[in-house]
Amino acid sequence: MRPLTGLLTGVALAVLALPAFARDLTIDLTGEPSSLDPHMQWNPDSYYVYRNIFDNVVTRDNDGEIVPQIATEWEYAGDTELVLTIREGVTFHDGTPLTAEDVAFSVNRIIDPEFGSPQLGQFNQIEMAEVMDGNKVKLTTKGPYPALMAQLVKLSVVPQHIVEEIGKDAFNLAPVGSGPYSFDEWNRGVSVTLAKNDGYWGQEGPFDTATFRAVPDAATRIADLQAGAADLVVGLDSDGAMQLTGNPAVKTLSTPTERVAFMGMNLDKPPFSDPELRRAASLAIDSVAIAEGLLGAGEVPMAQLSSPAHFGYAEGIAPYDYDPEQAAEIVAGKAELAATPATFATAPVFDQRVVQALQQMLNDVGFDISISMTDMPTYLAAARAPDRAERPELNFGRWSCACQDADGIAYPLLHSGSSWSRVNRADLDALLEEARTSLDENVRLAAYEKVHQIVRDDYLVRPIYQAAVLYGARAELEFEPTANESMFLNRMSWSE
Amino acid sequence: MLRFLLQRGGQALVAVFGVVTLVFFIQRLTGDPVLLLVPETATEQDIEAMRATLGLDRPMGVQYLEFLFDMLRFDLGRSFVQNAPVWDILVSRIPQTLQLAAGALTVALLIGLPLGLIMALTRGRAVSRIIMGGVLAFQSLPTFWSGIMMILVFGVWLKWLPPSGIGTFGHLVMPSIALGLLSLATYARIMRSAVIDELGKDYVRSARARGVGTGRLVRRHLLRNASIPVISITALELSQLLAGAVIVETVFAWPGLGLLTVQSIASRDFMVVQAVVLLGAFVTIAANLAADILYTVVDPRVRLTGKS
Repeated sequence: MRPLTGLLTGVALAVLALPAFARDLTIDLTGEPSSLDPHMQWNPDSYYVYRNIFDNVVTRDNDGEIVPQIATEWEYAGDTELVLTIREGVTFHDGTPLTAEDVAFSVNRIIDPEFGSPQLGQFNQIEMAEVMDGNKVKLTTKGPYPALMAQLVKLSVVPQHIVEEIGKDAFNLAPVGSGPYSFDEWNRGVSVTLAKNDGYWGQEGPFDTATFRAVPDAATRIADLQAGAADLVVGLDSDGAMQLTGNPAVKTLSTPTERVAFMGMNLDKPPFSDPELRRAASLAIDSVAIAEGLLGAGEVPMAQLSSPAHFGYAEGIAPYDYDPEQAAEIVAGKAELAATPATFATAPVFDQRVVQALQQMLNDVGFDISISMTDMPTYLAAARAPDRAERPELNFGRWSCACQDADGIAYPLLHSGSSWSRVNRADLDALLEEARTSLDENVRLAAYEKVHQIVRDDYLVRPIYQAAVLYGARAELEFEPTANESMFLNRMSWSE
Repeated sequence: MLRFLLQRGGQALVAVFGVVTLVFFIQRLTGDPVLLLVPETATEQDIEAMRATLGLDRPMGVQYLEFLFDMLRFDLGRSFVQNAPVWDILVSRIPQTLQLAAGALTVALLIGLPLGLIMALTRGRAVSRIIMGGVLAFQSLPTFWSGIMMILVFGVWLKWLPPSGIGTFGHLVMPSIALGLLSLATYARIMRSAVIDELGKDYVRSARARGVGTGRLVRRHLLRNASIPVISITALELSQLLAGAVIVETVFAWPGLGLLTVQSIASRDFMVVQAVVLLGAFVTIAANLAADILYTVVDPRVRLTGKS
C-alpha cells in the first residue's frame, strides 16, 4: 500500500470508528466560548460549556421548574431579604469544600460594578450577600424583587480561594467549579474539553470527556454530524434539519424557547401612531404562516409578550385575527396616512425571511414599508435612540431575558421609563410596577394578564411567535432540549 | 544602497501609520461594541457603566493617542469580548494559519507549475486548451462552494477525510486544496507565459540546433529562467492567501487568523480586529519591502534607477 493511500485509509477508519468510542461526546457549537469565567461574558457558546463546570445557586429541571442545586432551601425573611440554605458535602474540583462564603463571594463579585460583568443588569437588583450562621446566606435586594429566584438560576458559584489567589484572567483560562464536569483543556480557537467529575454530589455525567468545538459554518456542522465527527450540533434551521431526514444515524431535536419574536411599532410617528392602522397592520400579519410555514422548526404563534415557558403567561389571550381584506379596507379608508413611507429596521442576526415576509404582508394591504438592514450595533442604537421620533417606524426583535419571567420582556418593551419602550401609558406603568415589586404570585399573574390584554386590544406591540431551538444529534444520544437553551451533560445519555 | 533602503523603509513606515489610523477610526464609526456586550434588556445606566469600565467613554482623541503609544510598545491591548490579552489570542492562531498557508502553497506549486509547463510545451494543441479550461474553472470556483462540496464528497459520502477541525494530517488536506486552488491557477498561468517567453529566445533555438532534447532543455534552462517571475509572484500570493483564509477557515472550522477575523468582526471585538488588520498590513508591507530589496540583489539596474 502506498503511503498516501495508507494514510487516507487510516484517517477514514479513525473517522468511521468514532461512534464506537461512545464514552466520549463531541459537540459542535457555532463559536468558541468567549469566556469560561461564568461571571463574565454571557452568550450561548460560553454558557453551554461553563454550566457543566459550575453549579448554579438553583437550576430548572427539564419541565422548567426551579429546583435546588447549591441552595437546598430558600425562604423570604422579609420583602427584601431572602435566606438561602447551602448544600453540605459539595466540593470544588480541587477538593476544597464549597461553603456559604463561596456563595456570598460569587454574588458580591457579579454585582460589583468595578468587576464590570456584562451580566450586571440581570443581578443589579441585589444589594448584597452576607453569610449568616453556618450554611446560610442572606441576599438583600433593593426592593421587593419577585424575579430573584429566576435570576439565581444563572448565578454560578465560584471558589473564593482560587479566584482571589490567581486573579480573573488566570481563572478564565483554567476555571475550577463544582459541577459534574471539570475543565480539562482549552485549545484556543479550536475546542474546550471537559472531563467527568467522578466525585460529583449529584447525578454524574455519562461521558468520560466532552469536547465542545467551534464550527462557524452551519453546513459544516451538518456534515460533521453526518460523518460521525460530531455527536450533537447546534444552530440548525428547518432547511438544515431537512438534510438530516432520511439518515437513520442522526435525528433532530427541537423545543420552543423563552424567546418571543415581535414587531415593534413607533407609536409617536405616522402611520403607526394611528390605532386603526396598527389594527390593520396586525390583521395583515399571518402569524401561523410565519411560525409554521416559513420557519417550521417548532415555532409557536404567540399573541402576548411572553410564552408558556414564562411566569406571567396568560392562558386567556385570544390569538390575533388574520384578515388581509379587512386590513386593506381600513388602509383604503386612511389612504393618505397609510401611505406614509415607513422604515423596517433589522440586523443580520435576525431571520431575514421573517422580516421580508412581514414587509410583504404589510405592503400587500397598502402600506409603504422599506427594509433598512444595518449591523447590530447600529440597529440597536437606532431602535433605542433617545429621541423617540428618530426611531424607525418598525423593528423586529426576538427577545429573551433568560429569566423565564414576563417581567423580562414586558417591562423593557412597555414601561415608559425604559429606553426600549415606545409606549407611554400610566395604566401599563402601574401594572408593570405592581407585577415587578409584588411577591404575591397571584397579584403578579393578574397584573400580567391585564398587561397582555391591553397590548392585545390596543395593538401596542405585535407579538408574532415563540422561537424554537433546533439541534442535530446522533440517533442514540438521549438529550431533552430545554426552553432556557442549556446543555447539561449529566442530563444526557446513550440509549444503547 | 543605504539611501535606497532608507527611502523604502520610510515609505513602509508611512504605510503602517496610515493603516493604523484608518483601522482605528473606521472601526469606531461603524458601531458601538458596548451594545453588543450587554444583554438586550440592559438599561441605559448598565450601558453607561459598561462603557466607562472599558474606557470607551473618553474622548476619541485621547483613545487614539493612547492607542498609538500602545502600538509603539507593541501592546495590542485586551479583547473586551474574550477577556484576554490580544497578543495571546493572536499568537495562538498564527501557527494554524501558517500551516494552512504552507499547505495551500504546496498544493499550488506542486500542481500549478507542472500544469503551466505542460501548457507552454503543448501550446496551440488541444491538451493545452483543456488544461487552460480546467485552470480557469479552478480560479472561478468560489471557495465557500468548493469547500462545502469537498466536505460532502470526501467527508460525508466517502469518509476518507475528517470534515472539519484540526489535529491530524488528514485535517489539513481539504482546506489546503480549497485555499490552494486560487493560487494554483495563478501559478499555472504565470509559468505558462514565462516558459513561452523563454521558448522564443535565441538561446533556446541554438540549444535545439545543437540537438539538446526537450527534457534537458526544460531542466537545465527553462525552469531556472522561468522561476524569477514565479518567485516574485509568491510575495503577492501571500496576502491573497491571508484573504482567502478568511473564507476557507470559516468553512472548515480551521482556527487560524481568518476565522478569528470573522468572529471578531461579528462580535465587534475592536482590539482583535485592529490587531489582525495591522498584522495583515504589516505582512504585506514587509513582503513588498523584502521583494524590493531582493530585486536590487538579483538585478542591479533596479538600484540605479530606483524603480522596481
